[in-house]
Amino acid sequence: MGPQDRYLTLLASLPAHGPLFGAKQTPLSRLRLNMRLKWLEPDDAADLATLAVLTDWHHQRFDVDDEAVVREAERGIAGIHNAFTRDLVTWRLELRTVLAALRGRRAGAGPPSGRRRWGFGRWAPHIARHWSEPHFRLERVYPWLPEAKRLLDDGDPLGLERLLLGTVWTHLERIGAEHYFDFEALVVYVVRWDLVARWTRYDADAALTRFDALLETALASIDLDSAA
Amino acid sequence: MNEFVIALGWTGMFGALALGAIGSIVGCAIAGQAAIGAMVDTESGQGRYLGVSVMPSTGVIYGIVIMFTLQRDVTATSAPGIFGIGLLAGIALLYAGILQGRACASAIQAMKVKPEIFGLSLAPAAIVEGFTVFVFVFALVLAGNIPA
Repeated sequence: MGPQDRYLTLLASLPAHGPLFGAKQTPLSRLRLNMRLKWLEPDDAADLATLAVLTDWHHQRFDVDDEAVVREAERGIAGIHNAFTRDLVTWRLELRTVLAALRGRRAGAGPPSGRRRWGFGRWAPHIARHWSEPHFRLERVYPWLPEAKRLLDDGDPLGLERLLLGTVWTHLERIGAEHYFDFEALVVYVVRWDLVARWTRYDADAALTRFDALLETALASIDLDSAA
Repeated sequence: MNEFVIALGWTGMFGALALGAIGSIVGCAIAGQAAIGAMVDTESGQGRYLGVSVMPSTGVIYGIVIMFTLQRDVTATSAPGIFGIGLLAGIALLYAGILQGRACASAIQAMKVKPEIFGLSLAPAAIVEGFTVFVFVFALVLAGNIPA
């Protein structure tokens, strides 16, 4: 049997994903997914772990500068054995670079200057050159960009998150169409699982409670009477 | 030269069975792995998955019948016919077995999610089976015309 059937049993043992925005919970728990992923061959398991380190938000470091983050990402991508996974990580980090530029510009940042490496991938120099263009002249490459800018300008973070998750979901659907029982199909499954987990974790009440707690912590150190 | 032609005749005679068996082995292994995976994920209906996974085994049966139909004295006159029919029928059975296994694996995946499409999901595998039957029947018909 060829590499296209390598993970037949594993993929058949995973419950199917429904539509992203209709999901109430992930089709199986993280614990059970991790147990199934123990069937992976070592190289593939390492690729999947690198993918998680490079794309999961809770793995991201905010205590280092952009240049170090880009270097770390490039080093991580170079270590991925599977070309499909490498391309997927590159695509996602490029998407985040475009979005970071959009957010940075809206916050009043000027164009990235000089040789400083501020973003990942092939579009970083292009974005710096076209900083004043509304969509950095990338609307043909990223058709969702005008809509993302509009949502950002309107102050609709939930709409923007929905748009971005939907974009990644559709991209996965397209690149995974030719893969059924191979490692690539498994990568698509796991990334989709992460998207569903992220979307179903969003909880307005929990966010409000967390915001209140943060606010109380911040205000506790301020003497309001003396401030007045 | 005669010995080589006679060797080809024997190759064709056994080729139908051997290639058909390889197709069935690979096909059943592919569908069987999908069935095992589906059993891990579901609480009931496991018998159906196993039943579907043995569908590609028909290739070896067709191969046996073709081999017996081709069985005769292998001479310089009969060997080319035996070789041509046996080998080409065997190749068709080989591919049919492997691809039917894939179709069955996909059917198992689909019926796991939607048990109500059990019958429909088997249609692609059944169509592949139909083409295999064509190969089988016409191999038998042509085998009767091989000169002695």
